[in-house]
Amino acid sequence: MPKWGMLVDLDRCSGCRACVAACQIENNVPINTEEIVNQRRGIQWIRIERYWEGTEYPAAKVRNGAMLCQHCRNAPCEPVCPVYATYHNSEGLNTQIYNRCIGTRYCANNDPYNVRFFNYWEPQWPESYYHYLNPDVTVRSKGVMEKCTFCVQRIRRTERQAKREGRALKDGDVQPACVQACPTDALVFGDISDTGSRVSRLAQDKRHFRVLESLGTDPVVFYLKKVDPQHVGDAAKQPAAH
Amino acid sequence: MATTAGGRKLGRVMPTGRVLAIIVPFIVLLVVGGGTWYLYGALNPPPKQQPIAFPHPVHVETLQLDCQFCHRGAAIGPAATVPAVEQCMFCHKVAVTDRPEVQKLRAAWEKKEPIDWLRVYRMPDTVRFVHEAHIQAGFDCAVCHGNVGQQQVVQHARDLRMGDCVTCHRVNEAPTDCTTCHY
Amino acid sequence: MQRREFLKLAGASAAGTVLFAGCTIPQSDLLLQSPALLPEDLLAGYDQWFASVCRQCPAGCGIIVRVMDGRAKKIDGNPVHPLNLGRSCARGQAGVQALYHPDRAPQPLSASGPRGLGRFNRASWEDAGRELMARLRAAQAQPDSVVLVTEPLHGHLGMVVERFVGAYGAQHLTYETLERAPVRAAVKRVFNQDRLPDFDIANAAYVLSFGADFLSTWLSPTQYNREYGLFRQGEAGGQRRPRGTLVQVEPRLSSTGANADAWVPVRPGAEGLLALSIAQVIVSDGLGDRNAAQRMFPTPGALDPFRPDRVASATGVPAERVVQLARDFAARRPALAIGGDSAAAHTNGTLNLTAIFALNYLVGSVGVQGGVRFNPPLPLRELPQTATATSFRDWRAFVERLRTGQPRPVSLLLVHQANPVYGLPTAVGLAGALANVPFIISFSSFVDDTAAYADLVIPDHTYLESWGDYVPDPGPGYPVIGFQQPVVQPFVGSIQFGDLLLRAAQELGGSVAQALPWKSMKEALQASAAELQRLNRGSVRETTPQRFWNAALQRGGWWDAQATVPGAPPAAPQVPTQPAPATFDGDAQQYPLHLLPFPSNALYDGSLAHLPLLQALDDPISTITWATWVEVNPQTAHDLGLIGDQESDVVAVESPFGAVEAVVFVSPSVPPDVVAMPMGQGHRTFTRYATGRGANPLTLVGAREDAETGALAWASTRVRLRKIGRRVRVPIMQGNVSPIQEASWIQIAGPEKA
Repeated sequence: MPKWGMLVDLDRCSGCRACVAACQIENNVPINTEEIVNQRRGIQWIRIERYWEGTEYPAAKVRNGAMLCQHCRNAPCEPVCPVYATYHNSEGLNTQIYNRCIGTRYCANNDPYNVRFFNYWEPQWPESYYHYLNPDVTVRSKGVMEKCTFCVQRIRRTERQAKREGRALKDGDVQPACVQACPTDALVFGDISDTGSRVSRLAQDKRHFRVLESLGTDPVVFYLKKVDPQHVGDAAKQPAAH
Repeated sequence: MATTAGGRKLGRVMPTGRVLAIIVPFIVLLVVGGGTWYLYGALNPPPKQQPIAFPHPVHVETLQLDCQFCHRGAAIGPAATVPAVEQCMFCHKVAVTDRPEVQKLRAAWEKKEPIDWLRVYRMPDTVRFVHEAHIQAGFDCAVCHGNVGQQQVVQHARDLRMGDCVTCHRVNEAPTDCTTCHY
Repeated sequence: MQRREFLKLAGASAAGTVLFAGCTIPQSDLLLQSPALLPEDLLAGYDQWFASVCRQCPAGCGIIVRVMDGRAKKIDGNPVHPLNLGRSCARGQAGVQALYHPDRAPQPLSASGPRGLGRFNRASWEDAGRELMARLRAAQAQPDSVVLVTEPLHGHLGMVVERFVGAYGAQHLTYETLERAPVRAAVKRVFNQDRLPDFDIANAAYVLSFGADFLSTWLSPTQYNREYGLFRQGEAGGQRRPRGTLVQVEPRLSSTGANADAWVPVRPGAEGLLALSIAQVIVSDGLGDRNAAQRMFPTPGALDPFRPDRVASATGVPAERVVQLARDFAARRPALAIGGDSAAAHTNGTLNLTAIFALNYLVGSVGVQGGVRFNPPLPLRELPQTATATSFRDWRAFVERLRTGQPRPVSLLLVHQANPVYGLPTAVGLAGALANVPFIISFSSFVDDTAAYADLVIPDHTYLESWGDYVPDPGPGYPVIGFQQPVVQPFVGSIQFGDLLLRAAQELGGSVAQALPWKSMKEALQASAAELQRLNRGSVRETTPQRFWNAALQRGGWWDAQATVPGAPPAAPQVPTQPAPATFDGDAQQYPLHLLPFPSNALYDGSLAHLPLLQALDDPISTITWATWVEVNPQTAHDLGLIGDQESDVVAVESPFGAVEAVVFVSPSVPPDVVAMPMGQGHRTFTRYATGRGANPLTLVGAREDAETGALAWASTRVRLRKIGRRVRVPIMQGNVSPIQEASWIQIAGPEKA
């Protein structure tokens, strides 16, 4: 059984947000209306965090980083769910089972990456937009949490296709919507239990790190550091604000 | 409400309790009864009168048609699909054109109108059921749908709620992870 | 009713009998419909992917569209299309929201109120067709009183339109908000090319970009993003290539600048001066190609006035920084110099770009890998393969013609997709002048700012419902034509514009009908496909035209990777060394700040403002959604007492030509004397999502133009900010979730150790 994982090369990422848009269309994420954004309740399963390093013109630098559910192997959000709506499955996915969720939001409270989102409202689209909704993905109702699924519907679809063709999954067969869209190839998805997969190989790069490693969450989303030839080390780094 | 003095509650504590004693069982009854009706009744409706009284027995038993002859999606996709009117007309252009129910079909075809069948099997919105996987694994349609060839009006042959699904998956060593069906 | 609500009600209420009233599944969910027809390719619940071309911006990437039960579900990049190789951008992803937009013009519409308000009644196809033909016939006596306005068109629709207006005798104007004329003029002058070149970012070691926001909106952003990934961390032959260095020269830190290794803020309009200054260092220090230098600057001492110390105050870039840039640019080969966007949007725009592009000759980067490579023409001689929009200068002349009726009044105005009422500066006065046109017909899919002035709207299909083609300009360095096919049946009562023109031509008869022998756009496309089939080369080779057509549609087009431009590149041209400083509208005392409008990463030039997905997409610099902001330097904001955060001051941005309101975004992305505003908002009429939302910075822009091409110099206006004492909550994504830790979690690798 594959163990799914992802890699984000911050040196390739240009912050263009193709991943954000692709995710929202693929996964029936409700429209983040102005009212919703104003209440800071926008839902983005994958987002680009934009940090300023420094505040002075023109020395301040922008740092972009894609943040999504880290599908931690030791996920703090999982044990706090009173109804087992979120748990770790054998493929390494941090799942969210909508029909089990009762909306206590404990998971979001315990989630250090802030990648879990609560549906404060019944999702609404104009009637004609229902035509493009993905029939493979449940529309989440008011009162449940939702989050990145690594596009499990695509994993299932690709598994079925491979079975139909009587073959095993190949590296690169499964591509979540964000990975498929990413124009700079900053996002790589694959089986991290397969040492030959592209994601496993890249995760060995000397630039590798994981976010909030010290918490011991053991994420399966690996990052490669942004390269900055002018970077002078952490001592000189000014506090940053997102 | 009650006020407190010296740490003890005073006032209308008992009456409230008595009211609750009457209301709570009522609520429980309502919740359990209504919930059962809602969940079970909606998923397993009584037999329905279809717009055309389509006789499965004739097609399945007498003519020995394979299920997938009409339900073309069953082995290759998520939905088994009901046949298009045009597909019915492949045969009914010439076959038994005089029966009143076939006349209804032909009338729809003349006007190129779709037929709105009443759905018999319906999974909740949170379930992604895929016919293909079950047919490919070698299961006969009758395992879930019963012998449709005996059903003049199609009706539920088995429970098909999650417990039923999971039991069958367990017996057949099929995956029982939630994300097999729920995503 | 959902289970959750049921629980909530059960817990909260003891009302009893009404409790389960809503507990039924919607009737529609209980139906299972047998469709009447059985198309071979349609199976319920079974998805199919159709290849086509994205038309959300002028890049023309290949797409594949997932279609299920006759509905388009998802758009992704076409893995085999040479431009984007399976990749896409946020704008392309939003295409399904255009197709299924709730405010699409549902069928022909006739005006029911005063022009400009966008009030319409539904009209029948018969009436609309009769009206169109009657108007076209009536004007045939004076055909040049008919004017057709379109977006810049090439390919088959371009050919059909050109032939139609040619045979009819009408005038054809084209409009694009973000004019490419200066880029085209500079490319023509420097490289002697009619088509835009292929800037080989992927293989460059050093990219010096002047204002070109190529990772966001410039020319072909998905292609450039793809190449940027390779430029940074690409592999060649299993080995990691040395990491490329990107230096961005621009007054306002763009999305591309944010990714650069260094940002060189330059004074607005001084980009060309800086390029000449870099050239001066390269030439005088003998760092580059001496032969090229000799051809480019034959007059001895011609570059002397551009010595870095002499122009430092004009460019705002210290002399030593210029010397360093020049040395790096000359040392890190292959080095590539590109320029566009704000660098081109000045009165000296073409001159700026000429000086910038010419730098490539000095370091031998023309016609080589990692430099500027050229795009050969497609082997279809009849087909227009590139299009330049009617310049802003000519548009002004046209508005003057509308106003005065001289030399000849306009009796019938036909507008297809283009939205000049939105994009042309208000100072030009197009909206007012339209009152003098007796009849206006719009062929827009939406009632936009321009269509709101129409008397009749005959809506066009969206690109996902149309036949068509797209020759990407710039291409990938070899001939490419993308084929566009309808991936779904028309969703509303619209008609493909090209087909409508062809039908109108048949009805008009005579020379017009003779000029357009095809019955439909599909037929015209098939004729070209047959021509390509006879060549028997490239990505699709088939034995019969029919097989070729099917195979090309399936792959999304035809291309020939072998047909790169052969032979030596054109020799270096002479580069003008007469300094032409940019001039600005607005007195520097009264209006102390430079206004830099910039194309929006999400809404592009405003043509995508009707899509909620893009409205809600956070800007790469400000992370603001749904609104118009003005980027203000922290020092300036402090001086003016402005606050820009989760709650921000609203300011009036005032120019000599008008004033708009915007929320303040305090940001180190602009110098103290520059403010920047995104384009895209400020539509008066453009569906429920864009109408009346935000402000359009182009309404502040005056009437200055690029001296050579006449393109709108949209970066040549000064403004002032006036605090109006209102503070509002800003729809900003920063802070949508609480920061995951105090400082940035993004880790940085310093310089690589040798």
